[in-house]
Amino acid sequence: MFARFSILAVVVALASGCANNSPVLGGKNIGYGDSKAVELVTNEFGSTDLQMIAESMTRSLAQSGILQGRPVVQVYDVKNKTSEYIDTREITTSIKTQLMKSGTARFASDNTQMQSQVDQLKLQNQSGLYKKNTVAKTGNMIAAKYRLEGSISSIVKRSSDYKDVFYKFSLQLIDVESGLAEWMDEKEIRKTTER
Amino acid sequence: MASRVLTVASLCAIVQLTGCAVFRNYDSELQQTNQHLSSGNVDAALALLEKNNKGEDKDLLYYFEKGELLRSKGDLAASQQAWHQADNVVFKWEESVKLDTGKYLAQFGSYLANDKVRRYEGYDYEKVMLSTQMALNLLALNDFDAARTEIKKTHEREAVIAELRDKEYLKREEDAEKEGIKTEYKDLQGYPVAALDAPEVIGLKNSYQSAFSHYLSGYVYEALGERGLAAPGYRKAAELRPNTPLLEQALLDLDKPAAKNSDSDVLIVVQSGLAPARDSIRVPLPLPISGNLVITPLSFPIIKEDTSTPRFSQIGLDHSTLELTALNSTTAMSRRALRDDMPGIILRTSVRAISRGVAQKQLNDSNPLAGLAVGIASAVVEGADTRTWRTLPDDTQVVRVRMSQGEHTLSLPSNLGGTRVNVKIDRPYQVVTLRVIGSQVYAGGPAIQVIPNTTVQAVASLK
Repeated sequence: MFARFSILAVVVALASGCANNSPVLGGKNIGYGDSKAVELVTNEFGSTDLQMIAESMTRSLAQSGILQGRPVVQVYDVKNKTSEYIDTREITTSIKTQLMKSGTARFASDNTQMQSQVDQLKLQNQSGLYKKNTVAKTGNMIAAKYRLEGSISSIVKRSSDYKDVFYKFSLQLIDVESGLAEWMDEKEIRKTTER
Repeated sequence: MASRVLTVASLCAIVQLTGCAVFRNYDSELQQTNQHLSSGNVDAALALLEKNNKGEDKDLLYYFEKGELLRSKGDLAASQQAWHQADNVVFKWEESVKLDTGKYLAQFGSYLANDKVRRYEGYDYEKVMLSTQMALNLLALNDFDAARTEIKKTHEREAVIAELRDKEYLKREEDAEKEGIKTEYKDLQGYPVAALDAPEVIGLKNSYQSAFSHYLSGYVYEALGERGLAAPGYRKAAELRPNTPLLEQALLDLDKPAAKNSDSDVLIVVQSGLAPARDSIRVPLPLPISGNLVITPLSFPIIKEDTSTPRFSQIGLDHSTLELTALNSTTAMSRRALRDDMPGIILRTSVRAISRGVAQKQLNDSNPLAGLAVGIASAVVEGADTRTWRTLPDDTQVVRVRMSQGEHTLSLPSNLGGTRVNVKIDRPYQVVTLRVIGSQVYAGGPAIQVIPNTTVQAVASLK
């Protein structure tokens, strides 16, 4: 009896498997793709380029040995020197996320977050709305040891049959106190389309 | 008897087949609408637009015009609503192009239907200007985040158009070679070729990229603190309009640290005039029909420039005068669109005329009366497509100034009635849009108030 029951249980388990059995609604032509799939829809800057740059930069920076003891880094905007609308902040956000997840560095509020940070501190300290012992004190923000900045540029060439795009992304880590560049790397990408 | 029945039947069939689109005269419809707009009677213009579009199934043009009229009226929410409908149509077009470019091109290049019986799908520059105008509406309400979405849509749309046109021009060259049509627009006797070859038309990189749209996108991204995205906006604008100090300065200023004083960075946008009309002109062309060269009159579109508004290049701010920089001309874009489309139009019109000529010759041989009827009907049907977004502003000029927060007065040149406009500046970045048609000035947004001309005159006479 027990054997039969266990066989049945095994069969049921096998049949159901680990697959996600959530029902699918609608759309025949719509599907989810692999977010890491190589994207070659057009030869403009795309998702694969963003991922490639972010991964290569993170690996290089993490393996450089500069980031000892989780130093505080301030990330600056990456200068976009191309004529393409490339959201360079997304590249630095990816680099930041990966470094943060691996626990290699900590990040100070960057230019865009600074205003919200200051506003919040002011609100807590000046509005009188909060319980005293929960209020964040001013003057305790951690200053950055390094700043991270870079640029992306491109060279585009066209002929009647070919379009060739060359991207160069460079990033450097500068010691705020000494002003010395402690680490630097670049990633080159070439994309060619035959018409 | 049989032949008479056949004639009547074929006439009926043609009338049925062609429907109203053929007989609709868009030029005269919109001439009246624009007259109301130029005289300041927006409600009458709107009423006329509704009267001319009574059907259930409204087309893209209706929403284009309605959005612009409502914007002039100052009802920005309703204007956005109308333009959202237009945007949906353009979005569907975009999707169909992206999904299967080949199929779209094959349908568009079909020789059977006359261009004016096709469902209107808008010229490329109109699609780009739609999202630019929508962004201006949102900026008038200081909603920079929503404007960013429209701006992003504009350049994504531009990329789709660029790829489509690349493929289309290639296919057209192959088709023309296959059909043996070698006529160029320069060969059309009596056609105003000079207008299509004007320096401001040839100077454009293509018909759809607007230096103003890119400059505006640079400004919006800069206002939102996204310099990495602002730079390509200014750079693209500078590429489209080389040697324009305003654009080069914007790019240089982007690298400077933000100013410390509390002055606002204000972009004054002056949109004036109306988009040009399209008219039809008949040009005789020799066509090979059943082995003979037959001189056949064919219809081609021409661009008729709007003359309602005198050109100007200065605007007064408080007690100073500001020089405006022209960044967009719809007339030039429209001419460029026609210039680029002409080879396709010539190809389609000629192939259609040849097949019609062959069919008519056969009909003439067997039944002269029916042949005549078909000939008359096809003469009615054959006319160039004159539909185009007519209430769209023609010139877009800008000036960027730093000014203190508070009330300011803008004044238009005296040849435009010298209208004065009160502006309230209360944001670090603010866009002030004015629409000028004839001597009428329409305020774009709640921060702007047009002082009625009678008051200006009264003040002047008191002095």
